[in-house]
Amino acid sequence: MKILSKNGNELVMLAMISDTAIKGDYLLIEDEKSKRKMIVQIYDEEYLSSQSLIEDIVKDEVVIASSTESLHDPLNIGSLSRMLRDARLFRAKIRAAIDLSDKLSSDVTWLPSRVYSKVRRLKISELGLFLGRRGVFPIPIGKAGGDNEDFEIYAEDLDGKLNIITGKKESGKSHLSKLLVKTLVQHGAFVIIFDLNNEYGGLAWNQDGSPSSIQDQIMVLEPGNGLKFSLDYCGKAAISSMLKNALDMPAASLREFFRIWDSLENKQTLGIGSLGNAINTCNINELVRDALISRFHVIQSSRLFLDKCNDDEELRFEKVISKKCKGTAMIVNMGKVTPIVRKMIVELVLSKLVDLLEKLIIPPIFLFAEEAHLYIRDTYWEDIITRMRHFGIYTTFITNQPDVIGDGIYRQVDNIFLFNFINETDLDKISKVSLADNDTIRSIVRTLPQRHCLSIGKVVRDLPIVVKIAATEVLTLGETKKFFR
Amino acid sequence: MATQLNLASCGIDFNEFGQIFNQSLNQCLSSRLNDMLKGKKIIFSGDEKSLIPVDGWGIRSDPYCTTTITTIQPIQDNTIVSAVDSSSIQIGETEEGSLYSVKSGIAIAISGKALMHFKIGPVLFYLSNETIRHSELDHRLAKLVLLDSDSAKRLIRVRVERAIQMELSKQFKKSIILIDGSLKSSVFEDKNQSIKNVVENCSLCKNSIIGISKNTRFKILDRFSNPLTKIREPAYMDVELIIKSLIRNSIGNNLLVRLGNNNSPILRVDVVTINGNKDEALGKLLGNDSIAAGYPETLRLAHHISTFTHTEVSCLRGYVLSNYDVTEIASEDIRRTLLGSITV
Repeated sequence: MKILSKNGNELVMLAMISDTAIKGDYLLIEDEKSKRKMIVQIYDEEYLSSQSLIEDIVKDEVVIASSTESLHDPLNIGSLSRMLRDARLFRAKIRAAIDLSDKLSSDVTWLPSRVYSKVRRLKISELGLFLGRRGVFPIPIGKAGGDNEDFEIYAEDLDGKLNIITGKKESGKSHLSKLLVKTLVQHGAFVIIFDLNNEYGGLAWNQDGSPSSIQDQIMVLEPGNGLKFSLDYCGKAAISSMLKNALDMPAASLREFFRIWDSLENKQTLGIGSLGNAINTCNINELVRDALISRFHVIQSSRLFLDKCNDDEELRFEKVISKKCKGTAMIVNMGKVTPIVRKMIVELVLSKLVDLLEKLIIPPIFLFAEEAHLYIRDTYWEDIITRMRHFGIYTTFITNQPDVIGDGIYRQVDNIFLFNFINETDLDKISKVSLADNDTIRSIVRTLPQRHCLSIGKVVRDLPIVVKIAATEVLTLGETKKFFR
Repeated sequence: MATQLNLASCGIDFNEFGQIFNQSLNQCLSSRLNDMLKGKKIIFSGDEKSLIPVDGWGIRSDPYCTTTITTIQPIQDNTIVSAVDSSSIQIGETEEGSLYSVKSGIAIAISGKALMHFKIGPVLFYLSNETIRHSELDHRLAKLVLLDSDSAKRLIRVRVERAIQMELSKQFKKSIILIDGSLKSSVFEDKNQSIKNVVENCSLCKNSIIGISKNTRFKILDRFSNPLTKIREPAYMDVELIIKSLIRNSIGNNLLVRLGNNNSPILRVDVVTINGNKDEALGKLLGNDSIAAGYPETLRLAHHISTFTHTEVSCLRGYVLSNYDVTEIASEDIRRTLLGSITV
């Protein structure tokens, strides 16, 4: 490979067919004169094209199409000619430099020699060494680079961070998120998953039907089946935010509700049954009573609440965490519940978690939210990414609609795992807000095969890396149900 | 500027220069364009290309025309038509000599369909005092090709072409061999592989050989061809008297031929056949080769496969650099350096 030209922060390299590099690969340019090195990343490739070359190709094709060809080419110029026709131009972004003491540097103001520079593909392991990518809790997510080297990120780089996994439908997003959940749990982390398609339950089982290595650490929670709270445990704040945000209760009705709540609490009779009785019998405006009754019926039918405190049936996060101290994944199945109940669940769970984290009762937790725009209200987004991060809720959003996530969130994001996008609008959105440059995103993401993602952010020390996500051992549920099999 | 140099004080009158210019030419050439050009048809020349009027020069331009025009009837009898063409270029120069490359193409057709084509080369030749000394070239010819690269290219091309033509004339029986250009002896030929030897072989193997020139340097033929332009089918006229009076070393029957219909061009064709039946030879050519735009497709294909492409030239340079331990040194276009370039 040879350097041809430079334009801005981009180098154009000439490569022959034998130079096996692909989009996303890193190249090391070693200037033998100045002894300096530069790291560049290929983001696009095209043919070396000139008018005369195209004319030659067309002419040859016409000739070959017109009659059978025999050749006597003693100098084998034909093969050289074919080589030239297959010559490629790699467009590469300058990512970093390596100074004389072999340390990574951001000083890329110098220009490598076109004559004395040697260009070679940089192994991902070498790149990792230059970047100083190391950690105690590795998460092997697949293979990377032209040599298909094993590639791992570190749980520490997801800890305290905001992550986004996005890509078009069936590009492999859920696959990666399951891999992350599984390894986080193996490392002893506490993970809560808002599972919209009831697919994370498969983490408990291997593909062959045997129990997975984390089966004991998996908890599948559904309203009425594991996901049941007592009103007392939820507390007035959580219930109030649920009524206000999920059930749209007006302020006047909410005041009456609090009055009833306080009176039941004083009598130590707080429960679903007594709450219903109180709403029906207390002396309040009839319109307010109607409002309260309608909300009460929704609460009752959601199967999210116990009538009385019951240690066996009741979900208490702190209890689960203390019992499963080696890490756990609490999967909140929301696939079969109504949108209102979905919102109620999210309000309750998040409010309770914030409450527990504030009081330092539970350690920080990782939250995985699939298509969160379907159940998290707009104002909650910023709360999640700013306030909750400080309390210790580290969120990973998984979505196939990058435009539903606001710019404010993208600006706060630490890691993005980008799967294939073809749609121009999606590419536009993601390239505008992403942590990497527009050209890289547009060119690489557009051609990513299934289960390949471009990792950007802290996990790769801000040098984007294309990763082929490893096949998972665990059972993958959530496939589209089909009529024709 | 004028005041600083004060040209007037030097006594130079530029008007005198103009008069001298006119006088010097008027002594031998007329500049009375008004009288001379009035009513004339004109085609403007450009880029050193040879241009011909699409519908001929018209009646006024062919006062000598009395020759008979013979139409050509295609004969479809599965006769093999093979066409040969080649090209040579100068690849580089050293202190002692020059490096040339040659490429040839053979195209074969039968029953109006292209059968196959054969590309030969590119092959490299180095001409220097040293290499010439060991060759069988005539001393004067050797000097010429060392001094003049055009002659060197022509020598290489002619010799390669003749070698191929010799082989084809031996290999095929009762076929037609097409050659790009007229059938005439060349000073660059090897005496054992001359056009006469090729024709002799053709006679032995009952082959016909046809040389087709796309243009001719004999301007009189352009004017003479006018009657052919009016014929709407393939036809020919004999111009042997004219050609033989202009050149000595021409071989075979010299014709002006229109191979296609309507507006196809008039070509100069030299034909050698075993029985002297040029009608049959041309008929077989029409019947067994496809004629597109008035030119045989085999000859067109042979031309295309024998010309050097830009890619090949680049590859040849690369090949020479990487295989012969040579060092490329900087060079410049002396005309461009001295005259500069103003792109318009």
